[in-house]
Amino acid sequence: MNRWLFIMLATLLSGTPAAHGGMTGREVYAKVHEVRIRSLDRQTEATMTLLDKGGGTRSRSLVEYSKAAGSDAYQVLVVFKTPADLKDVGFLIHARTFSDRDLWAYFPELKRIRRIPTSSQDDSFFGSDFSYDDFGGPPNLDDYSFTILRDEVLDGTPCHVIEVTPKVRRKWSRYVAWVAKGQWIHRKIEYYRDKELYRAGTFSDVRIVDDIPTPFTMKMENIPTGHKTDLVINSIRYHTSFPDELFTQRALERAGK
Amino acid sequence: MRWQNPATRVFGTDSLRRRMPGWPYRAALLLALPLLGAGAPPLGAEESLSVSGRLSSRATLALDDSSSKEDPSLTGRLVIDAHQSAWRLYTWLEGGWDGTVASQNSDHALLKDLDTVYQDNSPYLEVKDLYAERALAGIETRVGIQRFAWGRLDEYPINDLFNPWDYRQFLLKSLEERKIGVPAVSATISRSDWSGQFVWVPWLVPYRLPGPDERWSLLPATSTFPGASSPELTPLEPDLPARNLQNGSAGLRLQTLGEVEWAVNLFHGFDPRPVFGATALTTTGTDHGQDTTFGIVPSFHKITSIGLDSAMVKGDWSLRAETAYACNRVFTVRRELWETSISQGIDPSLLPSMEVTRDTLDYGVAADYRPFEDGLLTIQAQQSVILDRSSTLYDQTVETLLWANLKVGWLNQKVETSLNLAWNPEHSATMIKASTYYILTDFWKIGLTGLLLDGPPQSIFGRYAMNDQVMLEVVYSW
Repeated sequence: MNRWLFIMLATLLSGTPAAHGGMTGREVYAKVHEVRIRSLDRQTEATMTLLDKGGGTRSRSLVEYSKAAGSDAYQVLVVFKTPADLKDVGFLIHARTFSDRDLWAYFPELKRIRRIPTSSQDDSFFGSDFSYDDFGGPPNLDDYSFTILRDEVLDGTPCHVIEVTPKVRRKWSRYVAWVAKGQWIHRKIEYYRDKELYRAGTFSDVRIVDDIPTPFTMKMENIPTGHKTDLVINSIRYHTSFPDELFTQRALERAGK
Repeated sequence: MRWQNPATRVFGTDSLRRRMPGWPYRAALLLALPLLGAGAPPLGAEESLSVSGRLSSRATLALDDSSSKEDPSLTGRLVIDAHQSAWRLYTWLEGGWDGTVASQNSDHALLKDLDTVYQDNSPYLEVKDLYAERALAGIETRVGIQRFAWGRLDEYPINDLFNPWDYRQFLLKSLEERKIGVPAVSATISRSDWSGQFVWVPWLVPYRLPGPDERWSLLPATSTFPGASSPELTPLEPDLPARNLQNGSAGLRLQTLGEVEWAVNLFHGFDPRPVFGATALTTTGTDHGQDTTFGIVPSFHKITSIGLDSAMVKGDWSLRAETAYACNRVFTVRRELWETSISQGIDPSLLPSMEVTRDTLDYGVAADYRPFEDGLLTIQAQQSVILDRSSTLYDQTVETLLWANLKVGWLNQKVETSLNLAWNPEHSATMIKASTYYILTDFWKIGLTGLLLDGPPQSIFGRYAMNDQVMLEVVYSW
């Protein structure tokens, strides 16, 4: 084949589904979405380690409860167990749909629940490099556009590399995600503000729990500051079927107890 | 003004014995017994036991040499939360050496009791919360010493009336730290779209005041009376209302949940705000001649309050609002009116009452906004309207309080700064409070707080105008 003809064909094919196993970016994310919905009923206990540039570390342990609440609704309760300053601080999400949710936080020092604007969902989650949204459920796919950039093998795992651009207001302008083929979970993610890479993360130690692929180690870095956060799952349980009472404001005040 | 510790000055041994410090705790425990049945169930597989605490060491540098000083303090907190199935036992204890105490109670009691206004204990132990809880059929019932948080506003909430405040270090402590736990029975029902709470406090728990020679006194330490032969003012312990069913406080709060949250608050009981009355002049012979004194006594009055509060999110703003109409609120008349008369030898019992009763309407709005990541700005405006105000009152018909707080976490919240600004425009009273804490480890932090206060002597901030200070604090939490 003529070299120029090969280049032209390759260029054309790279923009078509056929080049990525017949899938579009949206179709890949529909699979990601499906896995995230399947994983909604769960209890997770995790340890978050904050690492600053100078080598200092701080540790936080937390428990997360979540529940599917209809075909496209869910509820999440996150409660800190340590350190003492954050103990029993909680965060509650009621998602009426994947794009419409209410957020509350509870601070024991104030003994009061505060509503949080959804625009805060991209802010730092209690000083970590994760955001509040990282602890939420799946997004509404219609609020984003998806473009497959390429296929790539990442640490031995074949991945689709997909650019995700929000159609709704977010504090980032796009992210690029490495989605593991077959498992349909993120293995790596890079968030951009305009052209600047400002947050990057990896998801490793993937284990199959109750038929759901689950990364047990997540690392996120704030690129401009060099601050890093490691989130390690200590235990996870799916298909939990928690009662609705666990996701009320009262349960938030009681740290889920 | 002469000041002696009221426990020694006013009460004899009999009155101290009558008060039996600590008996409310025993009573609260007795009240809790029916809930506990034959005792708390043994901790089993579903048990959870959480123990946490905090130690704080504090040193204060007074910026005004003429102000009352305080010694360094070492205080601690212990919180124990035990669950087993539907049962819960919760306690929040505080104690330590309080450097603001100028003169000890004569009995050197360790435990802060629930029926004394002037309590100078150091070392001290205070029970902020101690209750047993039973959750049954979706209703949580709590019996014991509790703190409640009704309404939406910060620092000076309108509908939060069950817990009186401890005015020691008034403007330095957070709202929850200021609150005194009260013995109460409460029942809370919570559903997905509404919740309700009923509270009954069977007897009055008075607010607590520091003595006039102490740094955070509500009464000035120096006499404002003209003339050396003026009567001397002595703060006295009040005789509290009888402990019967008529002298309890009760309230109901019903809240709806949704995009806009609404709550209605009904309260009938004792107003937690300090009000003072006076006793008759007493003249006693001394080596130096005649000594004329009169007592100023905290007084307690019931109010009925009907309030509403609401919360919602609008764009980037989290909005809150609160209002309440209170009937029969009592105010103390302007200080100079009764001071001058008494200084001229007029017996207070012959003067018009030091107290004026009026209805009030309070309302306020607050908003939280994140100007940048790790920054939270809270602004709050509230007003109190005295209906048919008497000209004898220091408070204006409309009293406004504007308050703003900017909290910022730096270096991934390794450094926490907080700036508070408050302004009472009717009296040109201001407060500026700024603090910086450095998080050394997960357990240790160290911080510096500066406080500047200004205003006329009877205004909310001006009465502490000599209390400008810098405070160094080291905190260990576990």
